[in-house]
Amino acid sequence: MIIKKRLATGALGLLTALACGLISPPAAMAGEPAPDSPKVELVLDVSGSMRARDVDGDTRMAAAKQAFNEVLDATPEEVRLGIRTLGANYPGKDRTAGCRDSERLYPVGQVDRTEAKAAVATLRPTGWTPIGLALRGASKDLSGGEGTRRIVLITDGEDSCGLPDPCDVARELAAQGTHLVVDTLGLTLDRKVREQLSCIAEATGGTYTAIQHRDQLSSRIKQLVRRSADTPVQAPTPVAGAAQCAKAPYLGSGLYSDRETFGEHRWYRMRVAPGQELRASASVAVDRAVDPDYGVLVRAVTPGGRELVRGSEAGSGRTDVISSGLRYPVADVDDDEDETARTVCLELSQSFSAPASVKRAPGLPVELAVDVVDNDDPPADVAAFGLGRGWVLLGVLTVGGLLVGLLWGWLARWRVTVWRSN
Amino acid sequence: MRALRTLGAALTLCAAAWLTAAAPAAADGKDGTDGGSGKEAPTEAGTNFRTATEIQPGQRATAAASTGDYLYWVFPAAAGQVPGVEAELKLPDTSSRHGGATWQLDVYDGLRRHQPCASGTPARRAAQQDRTVTVSCTLRQVRSWSERWANDPLQGAYYVRLTVVDLPAQDLGLPIDAEVEASVRDAGGAHADGGDVTPLNPVLRAGTTPGTDSGTDSEPTGDASSDSADSADDEGGDVPHAVAEPEDDWGSGWWSDRWVWTVAGAALAALAGVGGYTLTRGPRAPGRPPIGTGSDI
Repeated sequence: MIIKKRLATGALGLLTALACGLISPPAAMAGEPAPDSPKVELVLDVSGSMRARDVDGDTRMAAAKQAFNEVLDATPEEVRLGIRTLGANYPGKDRTAGCRDSERLYPVGQVDRTEAKAAVATLRPTGWTPIGLALRGASKDLSGGEGTRRIVLITDGEDSCGLPDPCDVARELAAQGTHLVVDTLGLTLDRKVREQLSCIAEATGGTYTAIQHRDQLSSRIKQLVRRSADTPVQAPTPVAGAAQCAKAPYLGSGLYSDRETFGEHRWYRMRVAPGQELRASASVAVDRAVDPDYGVLVRAVTPGGRELVRGSEAGSGRTDVISSGLRYPVADVDDDEDETARTVCLELSQSFSAPASVKRAPGLPVELAVDVVDNDDPPADVAAFGLGRGWVLLGVLTVGGLLVGLLWGWLARWRVTVWRSN
Repeated sequence: MRALRTLGAALTLCAAAWLTAAAPAAADGKDGTDGGSGKEAPTEAGTNFRTATEIQPGQRATAAASTGDYLYWVFPAAAGQVPGVEAELKLPDTSSRHGGATWQLDVYDGLRRHQPCASGTPARRAAQQDRTVTVSCTLRQVRSWSERWANDPLQGAYYVRLTVVDLPAQDLGLPIDAEVEASVRDAGGAHADGGDVTPLNPVLRAGTTPGTDSGTDSEPTGDASSDSADSADDEGGDVPHAVAEPEDDWGSGWWSDRWVWTVAGAALAALAGVGGYTLTRGPRAPGRPPIGTGSDI
């Protein structure tokens, strides 16, 4: 009897515990960050030139170390942070050896502050500046998972290795569809450094900052790390538009990314049921040097080739993106027969051009935001509910009322006269 | 009894586990909303349409950035309102700059269509010695409906982009501070118009896997219909949108002061009608039928 009771108690407890485990929030079970938590890698230049004493009277290296310590203290819990160095180990003159010198100092993951700080403290300004190589390495370090990826590159010199060109490397990494952003921080105001770093930033949709003061360095890195924690995880789904509508991919609702080279037209398809409205916006980003005048055209076309509606935009000068959009409501049908969704083709083209020296591949980054929503409700009258407003309205109504009253009165008198005379 | 007690203890433990687990999650959630639609003004700006920081009209949002960054914010505007944006930039030290620069404010609607500024100074050139520069843009009135071929502003999200468009190359990357404030002015009943559209408030979620054309025709149809059903359901659901719905709705409600004017007009017409009728009767003693006077004329 007692055993039975104990068994029952145990079973009940087990059940409760199980239920508890099942319904408890997922955060309780995961001691580590979720697989889609944002990843950031700090890439620090430890080349010989970092010895220069020009950041608030201190060496660039000392300023960077201090900034790293502050950043490590301020890193949000959900961010997985890693550190990579370039030019930290090989002090010699041999170019080949110097240009292979990039090392993962601290693996991307939840930060152990003491360990990471200790690793940073060992760094001494040493070797070459292989930026392209370091970017490739950092991209590998950040691979895997669904979260956003960000590289923060801190350097004081342009790439001293020539090949691979870091700007091309950045564009190539951004085109891999991993939604990688590279933010660059230059510790010197040198022209070449500025051009190279801003080119890297532009190629990935990142930012370039010129650092002159120590506090500026740490606050900017902190801001970038925080930004990657704030950025929504919803990265666009990669899609490849076709050269003609008949072969175009069907899009659902949401954000998509694609690439389109100069002079190319890309087609996509959507299904819109009667009583629904198609919404489509497209933006083409500028990730390289382009000519100063440009434009974008989005068209909604029937599979037969008839244009339904278009959105276009043109611009000139410095820009990060050019965008346009359209909406196409499909009228509701009365009978039940023709309720099948209609196919609408979307054509995207842009008129960007670039100097001959600029690489054509990969194409310019395209972002599509498409949605299908409830149909609009065209007004029966321009004014709300056909209501009137204003002194003219009041005057007209008053005079009209007066005239009707007079008429009615005379009519009544005339009728009375007729009745009496009869 | 004992079983009950065990159950109670287990439940208490369970609740404790829940509370401890939920507490940081709740705190996270709070942190998250503070940056977005909370009461405090945001201190960061987004870097593209997708990551634009949400601001409320009347909030003064700030952001620290570098010269050359593209700063994005997004705010809601309802039908019948006239949205406007004003931004003030604190420029880098005059000693570190090498010349004048042109700063520009662009406003895009929820379909990412560029919206013209009806008034304001959307682009302004700052001379080298200037410490601050102010740019502003006031849009046309937001309509509650428009033809699909038109570029009229419609209710929904409005994106603000602030950047430098022309500068000496040496000044790229220098630190700046930006302050931006969106405002919405009610256009009043004179501009109350009819019709309605679903607000241009883009969804922020990854697209569903694109369907291939190689499959049978029925498959994409199924996908599309389920998607559209989803999106119809999601209108008030959990799908993240660019902006939250304003407290006073998206406008295009039934009320406008046109009702007052129209009803007042009707009352005046009725009074005038009674007055006109009375006039034809001429002066007479109250309560007496106007028989005699009528027959004498």
